[in-house]
Amino acid sequence: MIITPNELQQWVKEGRSFQTIDIRTEEQRQEFPLSALEPVASSVDALPSTNGQPLVLVCQFGVVTEGIILERELDNAYSLLGGALAWEALQTEKEDLSRWSRQTALPELGIAGQIKLNGARIAVVGLGGLGCPAASILAAAGVGSLQLIDGDRVELSNLHRQPLYGSDDIGSRKVTAAARRLGTQYDQVILETVPETLVSGNAKEHLNGADVIIDATDTIRARLVIDHASRVLGIPMVYGGLYRFEGQVAVLNHHGSPGYRDLFPEPPASGEACAEAGILGMLPGIIGNIQALEAVKLIAGIEPTLAGRLLIYDGLSHNTTIMDISTKE
Amino acid sequence: MKITVKCFSQVKYALETDELSLELNPGQTTADVEERVRQRAGKKLDGVLLRIAVNRIYVKEPRDLEDGDEVAFIPPVQGG
Repeated sequence: MIITPNELQQWVKEGRSFQTIDIRTEEQRQEFPLSALEPVASSVDALPSTNGQPLVLVCQFGVVTEGIILERELDNAYSLLGGALAWEALQTEKEDLSRWSRQTALPELGIAGQIKLNGARIAVVGLGGLGCPAASILAAAGVGSLQLIDGDRVELSNLHRQPLYGSDDIGSRKVTAAARRLGTQYDQVILETVPETLVSGNAKEHLNGADVIIDATDTIRARLVIDHASRVLGIPMVYGGLYRFEGQVAVLNHHGSPGYRDLFPEPPASGEACAEAGILGMLPGIIGNIQALEAVKLIAGIEPTLAGRLLIYDGLSHNTTIMDISTKE
Repeated sequence: MKITVKCFSQVKYALETDELSLELNPGQTTADVEERVRQRAGKKLDGVLLRIAVNRIYVKEPRDLEDGDEVAFIPPVQGG
């Protein structure tokens, strides 16, 4: 069984009796001291007597203790979710971050990065093939606020690659259906919907205040509109584009990195959207998730990102090519 | 001299391959390679903007090539 830091805090407040076992090394204990808990032993074997009291096992991130309880088939024993790291975060930040314990265990993210994510606002422009997986995984990751921007309605032909929608949503606004689904799945995210197509007249107004913009649109004209607003507002844009089995991702307008107009300066005379070119739903799933990963790295300050680089992924060979686009020549 | 051409998205479908090997004369540039790629594609790349990378670095102006260079053609992709 697991217990969250919030639940354990409640036990402490209520004066419930339990016994804490801190299995960590001395070095780990110094890093996160486990304040307000008084461990009685450093292993299950060293425990004097349980007296029928519940056991709370604590390790650094809450992963090892879950394994011990399963392996030894311990009854009446709880693993502290997120471990000492999440417990300490609750004491210092007054927030239970244990639902993200499997990602805060990453030293690159940690509690500090999670707090940044929880306070971040990300604009997702386009709630189609790329926008659905990106918005979904960003809400799951704990991004504080998502702004969903799209003027389209759900069509039957969208369903194979846009997993936020079902048959019941056909004819509904995409942003409304997406917010309904995301709000049910993730109760902590603030969802703002803009049922409009982004154009040069409204882009700056809608994107102002975002920390990162996800470009999940499907026309080059729309990408140029976002690029302009991104540059003027000084908000990085994570571009994603698709052609059949191929996808592209780049972080644009970030600390002087090139923008979309540097990549592709003019709208083409021709070009095919997914509707004409054909697409399997897994490809936008992969590319949308890479865009979300870049957004998380930008928010949490994790390097390197795809700023100044264009990633090209081929879903047939699974080859990934990265081009340096930072050249001024 | 010999160079490798890497074809992405529409270029790959127009030429029906993701890689070509081309024999060039000394002094020939990326512009010459683009002309040969477009000729080979017939009308399939008409109106398609092609961005070029040499050895995985974007180049904005025609560039002299050397033996063994890799020249990539990257059109913009719209889909999302």
